[in-house]
Amino acid sequence: MAKTKKNTATDEMQVDLQQQESASKIMSEKIEAAAESMIAEENAVVNDEVAKTEETSFKKPSVGEQIKNFFVNTWNKIKRFFAKLFKKDKAVAQVQQTDGADAVAAKQPVVEEKLPFKVRFGRFCKAQSGWLFVLPAVVLMCIFTFYPIGSAFVNAFKQDYNSISHEYNGWGFANFARVLKSDTGTGGATFVQCLVNTVVFTFISVPLSTLLALLISVALNSIKPLQKAYQTIFFLPYLTNSLAMGAVFATFFTIIQTPNNVETVGLFNTIGELFGLQPIDWMGMASPKWVISDNLVIPWAKYIVVIIYEVWSGLPFKILILFSALQSVNKQYYDAAKIDGASKNTVLWKITTPMISPMISYLLVTGIMGGMKQYTAIVGLFGEQMGINYDMGTMVGYIYQFKDNGYMGYAYAGSLILFAIIMVFTVINRYVSKKKVSY
Amino acid sequence: MKKEIESANSSTELLTNETVAEAVVDAPKTIVDQSTNFDVDKQKKKQLASNIIKNILVYLLLTVCAVLAFLPFYWMVISSFKTEAEFRESVPTFFPHTFMWKNYSMVLSQGSGFGQALINTLVVGFFSTVLGVAITILTAYALARMKFAGKNALFSIMLATMMIPGEMYTLTNYLTVAKFGWSNSFTVMIVPFLVSVYYIYLLRNNFMQIPNSLYQAAKVDGLSDMGYLVKVMIPLTAPTLVSITLLKFIGTWNSYIWPRLVNFDEWQMITNWVSRGFVDRGGVLYPAEWGGSVYGGDPLNTLKMAAVCMVSLPLFVLFIFCRKYIMHGVSKSGTKG
Repeated sequence: MAKTKKNTATDEMQVDLQQQESASKIMSEKIEAAAESMIAEENAVVNDEVAKTEETSFKKPSVGEQIKNFFVNTWNKIKRFFAKLFKKDKAVAQVQQTDGADAVAAKQPVVEEKLPFKVRFGRFCKAQSGWLFVLPAVVLMCIFTFYPIGSAFVNAFKQDYNSISHEYNGWGFANFARVLKSDTGTGGATFVQCLVNTVVFTFISVPLSTLLALLISVALNSIKPLQKAYQTIFFLPYLTNSLAMGAVFATFFTIIQTPNNVETVGLFNTIGELFGLQPIDWMGMASPKWVISDNLVIPWAKYIVVIIYEVWSGLPFKILILFSALQSVNKQYYDAAKIDGASKNTVLWKITTPMISPMISYLLVTGIMGGMKQYTAIVGLFGEQMGINYDMGTMVGYIYQFKDNGYMGYAYAGSLILFAIIMVFTVINRYVSKKKVSY
Repeated sequence: MKKEIESANSSTELLTNETVAEAVVDAPKTIVDQSTNFDVDKQKKKQLASNIIKNILVYLLLTVCAVLAFLPFYWMVISSFKTEAEFRESVPTFFPHTFMWKNYSMVLSQGSGFGQALINTLVVGFFSTVLGVAITILTAYALARMKFAGKNALFSIMLATMMIPGEMYTLTNYLTVAKFGWSNSFTVMIVPFLVSVYYIYLLRNNFMQIPNSLYQAAKVDGLSDMGYLVKVMIPLTAPTLVSITLLKFIGTWNSYIWPRLVNFDEWQMITNWVSRGFVDRGGVLYPAEWGGSVYGGDPLNTLKMAAVCMVSLPLFVLFIFCRKYIMHGVSKSGTKG
């Protein structure tokens, strides 16, 4: 029964098609004539079949109607689509169709099998053409982003993996254990030292520079004349090369002793001397430090240098963001507060701070994430050896040092630990900002 | 603030008094007027004084901070003009006694490698910027406007990679390009960093802001996807594109870690050239009367400062001419949340 229904439906659809085709102006007269003659024939056939099947399909006319409509609509869509795609081939295709129109049953498979495939393929291509646009990016990301991530996760568990000799001692967590215990046996910076350094730099410099940036941007927001000029000056350090500016900061703190015995203690020490402070060797061999253990020293003088640099270089971005956040706070709130007679403190803590708190938490997140990846500035300040005997190493510096000896297993293990730490901070910060951020 | 409110209150008082006085009699009106006027003047003066003090404090704070922020630049420039001997004086001078233009000529002289490094950086910067922006535009457009299977999944995966520190894949990339045989070439500097998920995200959001009706209108007019992108989308998002271009170029100019890993010798970038240091080669390069030693081996800080100036100068020039776009681009990155 279903089959007969379908047949009728397709037949009727065919009729519709032929009628439409005959009506179309693109067709040549010859085709038109052939179609007309065929319509007459087909109508007769269809009428017969309809008469036969009408009794059975009468019970559910709506379903038949639906199916019919569906097919007709689909066919029309397909036709329109093809007319667009193959404007030149249309006439030919129609001729072929009309040629085989004598036997409707024989023609059916041609329509149902051949065209829909083409159609489906064509439609598929059209619909997926977006992939063509993203293809370069996807290919490059596969090679230079996704593959390395997978590679890091796999190779981190190859124990003592060396990328030069491609040797490793089975699978396991030995890389992580050796990295954490500073037992890699490759010399260079130790993981504990690098972790402590990075955490200290980050967790002192990021809040400090955010606070200072908040102070400056609030002050900047309250003035009218010279506002643009100050804004520009404060933004200037953002554009600099951290390596170059690291070298400049190094000259502030370096004590220079030459064979000629001409000596400077550096600008910072000179200013300190004005206040009666003893000059300190901030960056050199004699830099003061606390020795905690074999693997860990705290060169606090060098930390101060790094923190001063980090605050200086972190300020521009933070001021820019906080200042634009302050500018975008709706003035109506302040007007409303004025009318209600709110005090200046109330306005600051009940309006300004909540309004810009999303930006503050954003700056803290990005600041900490950036701080954990610090490396270039350390090289700029302390050179490629990262201080004396790697005592100023950072997490990233720790990872990169394995490039030379090829012990990538340790490097990958270190990078996974760094990744985990960054993820933890991200999650914590998200949680905190969700709770505290309010508009 | 409090005083402003008070003054506002008193002025309203004045108004009501006036109207009341008008309504009642003529004679008392003048008296009331005079008394309230006197109060307003006094308060205005008070307010003015406190405002001035406040402003002075604010400007003082800003000036001190600005001076501190600017000090390294000033120090960099004056140090580059000092002689090595003056640089090492126990009391630092804030203005050079004699201007040593020779520092710059020595830095620029042949054999220092500055020219080669500059050309390398410019070539790499040009190609990576042009290709990178093209890829960013295409990808952002497809993600913003086109419909294809797996679009949202692709976009989420791309965003997820932003969470992963780039350092995690730098080492593998180093091994990969070594396998490709790309070391010591421009390719190795350009290709691995063409895709920047962050800029794609930024531009996609920009594209999304363009109303869809415009797209439909363009479609009705028979414009293809590509035509729509070139004729409508790109002109409309030009400021963001300029910002992305500038930031991309600045990024290449400042890149240090990757070029140090993969390139050597004459393929070095400008940052590598700065970081290698400038050492007195023993009386030949730097005359003794300016602080050079006969034996050599001392680091020549003034030359290094001159080199640092040369590297920083293009960035400042760029900043002067494109301040708006750079700050726009950087602040955009803040408002993404």
